[in-house]
Amino acid sequence: MSFTIATTVDDALAALADGARPIAGGTDLVVGARHGKAPLPDALVAIDRIEELADVQLDHDGVRVGALVTHADLVTDPVIVGSYTAIADASALVGSPSTRHVGTVGGNVMNGSPAMDTGAPLTVLGARAQLRSAGGSRTVSLDDLWTGPGRTSAAADELLVGLHLPAAQARCGSAYVRLEYRRAMEIAVVGAAAGVTLADDGTIASAAVALAAVAPTILAVVGANDSLVGLTPAVAGPVIAELASDVAAPISDLRASDRYRRHCIGVMAKRAVDAAARRAAGESIAVPVNRSIGIGAA
Amino acid sequence: MAIAEVPRFVRADGPDKVTGSGRYAADISLTGQLVAKFRYAGVSHARITRLDISAAAAMPGVFAVITADDVPDVMYSPVVPDRRLFANDVVRFEGELVAAVAAIDAATAQAAVDAIVVEFEALPIVDDLEAAMADGSPLVHEDWESYAVTGDTVQRPNVASFSSIEKGDVEAAMATADHVVTSRYVADACHALPIEPRAVVAQWEGEKVTIWTSSQVPFDARNGVCETLQMPASRVRVVVPHLGGGFGGKCGFHFEAHVAALARATRRPVKLVFSRQEEMVAPDRRREGMVVDITSGVKADGTLVARTGWIAIDNGAYTADAAFFPQLAAMHVAGPYAMAAVKIESSLVYTNHQPSGSVRAPTAPQACWALESHTDELAAVVGMDPVEFRRHNIVDEGVEGAAGQVYGEIGLRRCLDAAVEASAYGDDLPDNEAVGVAVSWWPSFPGPSGAYIKIDSDGSGMIITGAQECGTGSVMTLRMLAAKELGMEPEDFQLVYQDTSAAPYDTGATGSQTLLNNGRAVIEGAREVAAQLRNVAADHLEAAPDDIVLVAGQAHVSGSPDRSVPIAELAAIAAEGEMLIGKGSGTPPQYPTVSAMCVGDQGLAGWAGPQFACHAVHVRLDRETGVVRVLDVSAAHDSGTIVNPIGAHGQVEGGITMGIGQALTEGTQYGEDAKQRNTGLLEYKLQTAADAPTIRTQFIEIPDPNAGPYGAKGLAEAPNVPTAAAIANGVAKLVGAPVRQLPMTAERVWTTSMEVDR
Repeated sequence: MSFTIATTVDDALAALADGARPIAGGTDLVVGARHGKAPLPDALVAIDRIEELADVQLDHDGVRVGALVTHADLVTDPVIVGSYTAIADASALVGSPSTRHVGTVGGNVMNGSPAMDTGAPLTVLGARAQLRSAGGSRTVSLDDLWTGPGRTSAAADELLVGLHLPAAQARCGSAYVRLEYRRAMEIAVVGAAAGVTLADDGTIASAAVALAAVAPTILAVVGANDSLVGLTPAVAGPVIAELASDVAAPISDLRASDRYRRHCIGVMAKRAVDAAARRAAGESIAVPVNRSIGIGAA
Repeated sequence: MAIAEVPRFVRADGPDKVTGSGRYAADISLTGQLVAKFRYAGVSHARITRLDISAAAAMPGVFAVITADDVPDVMYSPVVPDRRLFANDVVRFEGELVAAVAAIDAATAQAAVDAIVVEFEALPIVDDLEAAMADGSPLVHEDWESYAVTGDTVQRPNVASFSSIEKGDVEAAMATADHVVTSRYVADACHALPIEPRAVVAQWEGEKVTIWTSSQVPFDARNGVCETLQMPASRVRVVVPHLGGGFGGKCGFHFEAHVAALARATRRPVKLVFSRQEEMVAPDRRREGMVVDITSGVKADGTLVARTGWIAIDNGAYTADAAFFPQLAAMHVAGPYAMAAVKIESSLVYTNHQPSGSVRAPTAPQACWALESHTDELAAVVGMDPVEFRRHNIVDEGVEGAAGQVYGEIGLRRCLDAAVEASAYGDDLPDNEAVGVAVSWWPSFPGPSGAYIKIDSDGSGMIITGAQECGTGSVMTLRMLAAKELGMEPEDFQLVYQDTSAAPYDTGATGSQTLLNNGRAVIEGAREVAAQLRNVAADHLEAAPDDIVLVAGQAHVSGSPDRSVPIAELAAIAAEGEMLIGKGSGTPPQYPTVSAMCVGDQGLAGWAGPQFACHAVHVRLDRETGVVRVLDVSAAHDSGTIVNPIGAHGQVEGGITMGIGQALTEGTQYGEDAKQRNTGLLEYKLQTAADAPTIRTQFIEIPDPNAGPYGAKGLAEAPNVPTAAAIANGVAKLVGAPVRQLPMTAERVWTTSMEVDR
């Protein structure tokens, strides 16, 4: 077994080209290995010290979130909290304080769990994944990145270096809500994110909704925009609840039955649209939505 | 009533535990030590047709592979000896041990475990309690009638222990009722889940073995080794370093003999450290699943006239210490209520599940949840407020309980009043919030217990006790008792404890009994030392021993504080001759007799030092998802005198938090193969610090003359009893019907509310 520490992206890419697997926070890789999910790879390259991947930067057409930005950083980053709030809602719910301080958004995305918290928010906000290898770089949509539970379309020598978010529009808001049975060390039973832009009359001008833990990958709700545009948020709630329950393809497992998941994903979608619309209208709903309204509110 | 003027924090073990300098069993490493790993059955019910260890034993780095062939053929367990160290023919649950390996390192040991060849012939799985009791059910123990069962234990096919409580003519009494309500409640099994998975280290020197283990009951562990390896107690020493929690899960004798046998076979120290999954599957300790049917008759004015009950308790594959569970569950289905006639039948049913054993207040949270949910149904049927209904029917001083015990001065009514008063009960609440109320009781457990006390030449005290500290702080409280007798400070005393070769016997950290019994022993021992000190002081101060007062670290002549000498100075004098050494055990309180008829009596129908409690829990329901959040808990407890208020509050808060988990999120899920499906902390959901509600605790302090020091009763288990019940009653108010399965998961609450709506 080998373990190397990269301090630059090029170092990391060279190690990947030699067959190493990247490790940042290790909150999925190490925990998974301890639980016998998959043994630790023979060769690891630690990427957690690559400073250039650890910040949130505004660029000419949006925001670039480095792959090594931790959940704890996302919860407090003013750009994320201000304009991409659903991501902060999600990051604030990940694991425990210690998980959030070492776990990264890049790790969450590349772990490819259908129950990941940041996946649905990134999807509704139009994030694209920036992949690099020693041979070059490319940018892919998240829909193209996630190919199944725990699987991505990234090649073994490709490293996720960042996520690009398009510039936020006026009167837009986003939110992520999940079903959870306790307030820490929890995983989404189901989750829903919504991004909503309001017209001047308060009706929905555009909307995107994505669902977690109801399909093999994060599920963007096709038709959410067409169904919600022109509706007031109050009217939109039942509409998206029904649509989300319809498109969900949940399984039964230890956490919930498929029937209960199908019901609850509608509730989560409705609450996400409601919170996103209220934020779009300028209302301040503290991060995370889960602690401010509905489930788990104090 | 506390024995110190101001509540004091006297945790001698606190700094070591908090800073990480404390040592736990897994921290012990000895020269030449090997690693132990177990081969488990992995199937729930099967006959072993082939067991071949030869390949494993031949692997480099493997020092021993042992099976049933390598240890004495001994059947063990208290009351119902129905198991062996290793399976010798039939395996009856997935965590049953087939073989044990000692190897040079963990990877080699695991490889050897994997190389053991075991072939099985499948036997029919028994996992449904009612089906197991039906005629013609496959038997978990084919030869159960040959087991050397002790006491008045009554057995039946697939029933390890049957008990009843019967008083009066139930049919006649029920016929006088204006309403009869029948309820069924079903509780899933759950776990004790100490955060420290257990570890055992064994080392032989000649014919003697020392075993370091994470046990709540070192003497039980020693006795188990003696019994199964057929050794005298003089050759077995069990030491418990700091213990990382127990909650009952580390009561009993578990794996000490297996590791000792490996160490003997290899002539090396051997160490076993469990994974979380092993901790959840292998020990014969988990909280038992239960089916409870209750029928009660009430008069139109709310008077309870009769009750019948039928209880089936999931024993699992072996009986561990559970033979008394049926009687205790029956007492909790009767509950702290007066009624003229009662008949409750209760069975401990063998299944192919992990064995059950005493987890914090065994049987009580589930049975109390069933009874108190049922009690709210009774109140509803007669149109009474549930709190008023309880006031009308609970036991009180001079009142005869269901089993015929007549109570002295008890605090149940005051507990009910205090907890309800401190809560939002009756307030105008949002339509998604409610307060549920439940009352409960729990016995104290008198028993033998011993301690030595000494004061060294420098004046420092030492308590050498058989008692075991499992985190409750009760051993730490012993210092307060000794200090008070000797006019010293608690901090003047060190503790030697958790070592069977150093101290006299104590039952251990089980049955809420440390302060009750070992407190008595420590006080007696300290009084002996106090008498010795007075003699030395009397010589020194030229006064009569009876006139010597010990206070504030000084001995002085009564009425003449100026004629004094420091205790440390007396200790130095005594060290040159007759030393300051005391011993104590005292006489345990007596169990009261009762008038009820008890088939299969296990001695638990009459309770010494009965404890009482009421919890009023304010809950909020997310109606669309069924998620319940506990906002705050008002608790009132009669545990007699409270000796250490800080420790007592900690016990109540911990018990309530554990109760919330049992109420809402903690439950074992089984597959059709009778194997546990959620054996990790992701899918078995404990409550976290972030979930803990506000807890307001009041103690109704009524000294009990037939209990512990200063009239103290037990306290460690009682706070775990009524929480789930109170939550259930709050949820039932909001949903419009009781949730009849425990834990009351979000999905179960939602499903119940869907049924109400339909």
